[in-house]
Amino acid sequence: MSEARKPLWYLRRRPGSVASEVDEELATHLQMRVEELMGRGLRADEARREALRQFGDLEFTRRYCRTEDQRKETHVQRGLFVEELWQDLRISLRGLIRVPMLTLTILMTVGLGIGATTVIFSAVDAALLRPLPYADPGRLVRIYTDTPPFKFPFSVADYQTLEAQQTRFTQVAGYQNRSMAYSDGVSAELLRGRVVSWTYFDVLGLKPLLGRTFTSADSQPGNPLAVIVSYSFWQQRLGGRRDAAGQTIKLDGNDYVVAGVLPQTVGPLEQRQDFFAAERWGTPPRKGPFFITALGRLRSETERPLAADELRAINRRMFPLWKVSYQDDKATWSAMDLREYVAGDVGTIAGLSLAAVALVWLIACANASNLLIARVTSRRRELSVRAALGASRGRVVRYLLAESALLAAGASAIGIALAWAGIRLVRVAGAEYLPRTQEIVLGRPSLALMAVMAVGSVLLFGLIPAVHGTGGSVDESLRSATRSATGSPAVRRLRRLLVGSQFAIATPLLVVAGLLLVSLSALQRVDLGFDSRNLLTGSIRLPPAGYQQPGSVQGFWDELQRRLQAVPGVSGVAFADGRPPNEVNNFNNFDLEDFPAGPGQSQPVSPWLAVTPEFFHVMGLSLLQGRLIDERDAQRPNLEAVVVDRAWARRFFPNGSALGKRFKEGGCTTCPWTEVVGIVSEAKYVGLDKPDEGTVYAPWSGSFSRFLVVRTTAPPASVLPAVQRTIRELDASAPLSSVATIDELVARSLQTPRSLSALIGGFAVVALTLSMIGIYGVMAYYVQQHSKDIGIRLALGAARSDVLRHVVGQGMTLVASGTVVGLLTAIVATRLMASLLFGVGAIDPATFAGVFVLVLVVALLACAGPAARATAVQPATVLRNE
Amino acid sequence: MASGPLPLMQGTLDVLVLRVLTQGPMHGYGVATLIHERTDGDLAVEDAALYQALHRLDRQGLVEAEWAPSENNRRARYYTLTRAGRRRLREEAANWRRYSRAVEAVLEGI
Repeated sequence: MSEARKPLWYLRRRPGSVASEVDEELATHLQMRVEELMGRGLRADEARREALRQFGDLEFTRRYCRTEDQRKETHVQRGLFVEELWQDLRISLRGLIRVPMLTLTILMTVGLGIGATTVIFSAVDAALLRPLPYADPGRLVRIYTDTPPFKFPFSVADYQTLEAQQTRFTQVAGYQNRSMAYSDGVSAELLRGRVVSWTYFDVLGLKPLLGRTFTSADSQPGNPLAVIVSYSFWQQRLGGRRDAAGQTIKLDGNDYVVAGVLPQTVGPLEQRQDFFAAERWGTPPRKGPFFITALGRLRSETERPLAADELRAINRRMFPLWKVSYQDDKATWSAMDLREYVAGDVGTIAGLSLAAVALVWLIACANASNLLIARVTSRRRELSVRAALGASRGRVVRYLLAESALLAAGASAIGIALAWAGIRLVRVAGAEYLPRTQEIVLGRPSLALMAVMAVGSVLLFGLIPAVHGTGGSVDESLRSATRSATGSPAVRRLRRLLVGSQFAIATPLLVVAGLLLVSLSALQRVDLGFDSRNLLTGSIRLPPAGYQQPGSVQGFWDELQRRLQAVPGVSGVAFADGRPPNEVNNFNNFDLEDFPAGPGQSQPVSPWLAVTPEFFHVMGLSLLQGRLIDERDAQRPNLEAVVVDRAWARRFFPNGSALGKRFKEGGCTTCPWTEVVGIVSEAKYVGLDKPDEGTVYAPWSGSFSRFLVVRTTAPPASVLPAVQRTIRELDASAPLSSVATIDELVARSLQTPRSLSALIGGFAVVALTLSMIGIYGVMAYYVQQHSKDIGIRLALGAARSDVLRHVVGQGMTLVASGTVVGLLTAIVATRLMASLLFGVGAIDPATFAGVFVLVLVVALLACAGPAARATAVQPATVLRNE
Repeated sequence: MASGPLPLMQGTLDVLVLRVLTQGPMHGYGVATLIHERTDGDLAVEDAALYQALHRLDRQGLVEAEWAPSENNRRARYYTLTRAGRRRLREEAANWRRYSRAVEAVLEGI
């Protein structure tokens, strides 16, 4: 009899049996020897003494044999364990292949859950959790002017004061974003750049690949202008040559010396920047404008409170010095973690997405658990036979766990594949929505999470069925299994609980998806305030070096206006320094003559657009009162006339006309009054989701860079080439960049909410589908197990509609209770995402009711199949089969 | 012939036990009796050593133990030679013969 063929459980010995077997064997031996000796004529006691003498050291032998046997036993056990495990896995695999639908459902859904959760967690880890990839990042802060709820950047005056007076930072730095036209002598293109203080790279601890970082000399007037270029700029435009440092390039028509080249891998602040020019900010005439992002490196992390005190003190000291141009004495200086600043406000979106995918995983596990319980229940007889043949309860649990482990391993494999692909996708496509996507990797935290989820999956959908597969006495199972059992009540309760939880999880997801969709559709319906069709826009930037002559800038714009008007298909041309729906570059403060800001009060602030007189007509804004800005307004040296929109007029003069009202703008107390000369209809400049709080239109006079707005009579795409040609003919070094129609800009501004609702909506649909599978499974099983009862009822005269109502009622009670729990959860949960909603409350009754109805209808459909089968039961057939 | 049984050389007992078991499954007492008969009592095999050998061989997988009724209907532990045991016996027997031939060759002529 070879070991492998024996039923495995036969070989098992009870603990302690080794010792008693040795005792028995030795006793038997001595007994035989005694009998032999007595046969030779010895007396019983003599024979006994003689037998012991002949034997030798009995006690030592007993110990020796026991030890040997124990060692063998341990060895055998270990071998058996491995063999049994292997056998369990083989049998499970074969079993799973026989039910491909079940296996595929579990693999795909749990795999999706694991994969998607890993991808989103990796993105969140990179965006929010990981330290910044700079030297000693814990000491890096962003310094800003704090006037809650706003965090304003610094001005040149602020930055220079900070740099001169601070003592708590090893160094501070500042930067401003600025596009500049790079010209290789033939054509020009507008590139993303940054003007930085010479300390910038030192503060962040970045070392150049080639050349040097900036020194204080690079910011001194009189020295050559210096620039540090990105790796890709160096590769694409400087040919990747080792001697690039020291070369001269033309930016905005000026000569810049390339001081250095950055390495390929840079921090999140440097991502997608083409070059960094050393600042020449000069001495500021007044406190504003505010455009510098200030950074600092703390002397030590523990000095943070001291640094905060110092920042407040410096601000207090400098406030009186700029009193003429800046009156907001409530504003203070503050510092925040640079990491927090880089992460921005994606916390809610990230948290929501992560919660959604984790819930999908959970629901997938609940679904798997449910399906596997059904499988175990239908195999109860097989398991009982195994138990009856001597398999221990642990052995059966292990056999069932092997199946779950296989499924979890398969799901994890799918999850890893999905995560691998997903991370690549997010790195490319996620940059629109999340910071630091370049840093997303399948790193140790992600892999750890994945391992936890894999093990969690086994426990979640393995242990429950396994424990239930072995519950109850063997005898009872064997007997009941021969008849059509209805499954134990505990198992039924458990399955109902699982299906109920599925609905309780899916419902909040559906509510969140619903709220996001309602928000999105509200955003899409927002009235821009003008006809957005056939509006082409783009940005033009003149190289300052080529326009040093007085009047040459204005001359360029006037000539461009004239030539573009003549292009076929163009019906109107205007210039402005902002464009809808969310690109306003300027906010300005003003002090109304009628309602001056008192001491300690902040002046009101509005979006501020500088526009040409044609702008209103080109955009299609209607004049409600007064007049529009004209050429004469633009030619005045001071700002004396502005047009405001209706929202502005209502906000400040709700009870009368704003026409003719006056204010001092920009904190200037010595400037002449600025008068409101006209009121126009509203348009969106600060984002579709922002309420109209009033816009001020100031006359535009020549400056180097502006948006071009063109109204076309033909589709904009067909007019664009002629527009671009016209600009090139006028000045080839002033390219038209960031070209887009207003419709495209609107679509782009909706991209984040659209993607988010697609993502969450997709997961909600998966969750709902899984819940449907769950309720269908439970009801189908219910009908199958109760066909006898149903048959008897029908035989006793119950109407088929009664049966239908009963079965559907069973299912729907379950669904409804799960859904209600889900809705209650949603009431609490949706409040956390209020910042993502637009035009709909976090507890929108219509959405909640809609989700409730949707879930019930879909669940009804899922119950319909099993219910129909129940009514089709033939009493005679069922009863005969008994 | 010299009087008194010879002491057993280290390792020899295992080979003897394996050899005896080629005749079929046997309990410890049977093995002891058979070795005693085969050698006419020339080899002094202590029962203690014999049982230690049996359990050692069992642990090594050279024999297999199983409880079965004995000839006079007692429950006894029967030992059977395994395939590995048979192989080991062939090797050890060959070794033993070479050894004894070598010793014999040196001692020849005395």
